[in-house]
Amino acid sequence: MDFNNIIGNTLRIGVIISAIIIIFGVALLFVYNGSNGFTITQISSSNSIVNSSIFKPSEIFSGLPKLYGLDYIYLGLMVLIATPVLRVLLGIAQFASERNKLYTIITVIVFFNLMFAIFILPILISK
Amino acid sequence: MLSPIEFFVTVVLVSALSGILGALTGLGGATFLVPIYTLYLNVPIAYASGASLISTIATSSGAASAYIRDRITNVKIGMGLEIATTTGSIAGALTVAYIYAHHLEFIVYIVFGIVLLSQVYVQLAKSKFELPKPIKPDWTTRVFELYGKYYDTVLKQEVEYHGVRWWLGEIIMFFAGFISGLLGIGSGALKVLGMDWAMNLPMKVSTTTSNFMIGVTAATGSSIYWILGYIQPFLAAGTALGVLIGAFIGTKILLRVTNKTIRYIFTVILVFLGIQMILRGLGYGL
Repeated sequence: MDFNNIIGNTLRIGVIISAIIIIFGVALLFVYNGSNGFTITQISSSNSIVNSSIFKPSEIFSGLPKLYGLDYIYLGLMVLIATPVLRVLLGIAQFASERNKLYTIITVIVFFNLMFAIFILPILISK
Repeated sequence: MLSPIEFFVTVVLVSALSGILGALTGLGGATFLVPIYTLYLNVPIAYASGASLISTIATSSGAASAYIRDRITNVKIGMGLEIATTTGSIAGALTVAYIYAHHLEFIVYIVFGIVLLSQVYVQLAKSKFELPKPIKPDWTTRVFELYGKYYDTVLKQEVEYHGVRWWLGEIIMFFAGFISGLLGIGSGALKVLGMDWAMNLPMKVSTTTSNFMIGVTAATGSSIYWILGYIQPFLAAGTALGVLIGAFIGTKILLRVTNKTIRYIFTVILVFLGIQMILRGLGYGL
């Protein structure tokens, strides 16, 4: 199995897993008529007050055992966002294994941009 | 007012339809999503862009997994250009944050409308010729290894190609990333323009490589959207699922539909939505 197949499968599996988690989360929302203290009506209105600014990615996991639908939805979205990130990481491994210095460096720069946007910028913005 | 379940079903249906249109036109689902959400479902444009940005990751990853197997996507060219698209996406997402913070939403509506209308040219000019006229390799061709080959199932032959003007591709990609971060779309058309027109790559390579890049570009912007609260979970969930379903159906139809008239119908939809977005931006609400 070569790198291209691994990468193709990673992308596919990432999307499938995230879709399953999201569907589960939506189902929980409807079963419990809400989540995280919000009613389903509050969550579902088109200009809802419920949005990602009140959900810290690190706090999502505490809601999973409580079967909070919103936390599952956000987890699914996080998996979805992580899929291309993982793909870039695999790209670094691929170019490194081919001993292609230039493209290993290029892919590391892309990875750095992603990490900067995902981990460093939010800290800078929220200050 | 729609009940929660009705609203969810509507979101899934609208995004599935957008996904089908996106797959058939090659524009991606987001192009149709944001106008329909904002113009007809009363969704604030920040939430519409957030949901649509998330959905482009879903379709990109879904489609890219298939294309990579076909060996048409040029991973090197894609990765090299990602430097510019991710940087552009960060700049675009920060710009839109400023725009929303200062209640200048009308700018986003107008830019979105202009982007929609500019796609019309791309739609009509497209599919004229399959392979580019060969241009002599330049220094970037050699340094950045801008070459490859793939087996074309339509032409029934192995196509060898090389790209040129890497630097020009990078400049266009920065704008593509910027637009993606600003509007929450994949901006696949601009990416294709960068590879097809600037770098002289074959259409098939441009479109598949662009699709591959969209996921990484969108992932960059989405974290900024997340922290600023543009991602509404209910809307994003329905949109991601709907667009996935739509893209899946769309690619199945695509194999059978190559009719030119269908392209014209889509173009009319583009013009219609584009004009409405601009009017909304100028203050002529519905």
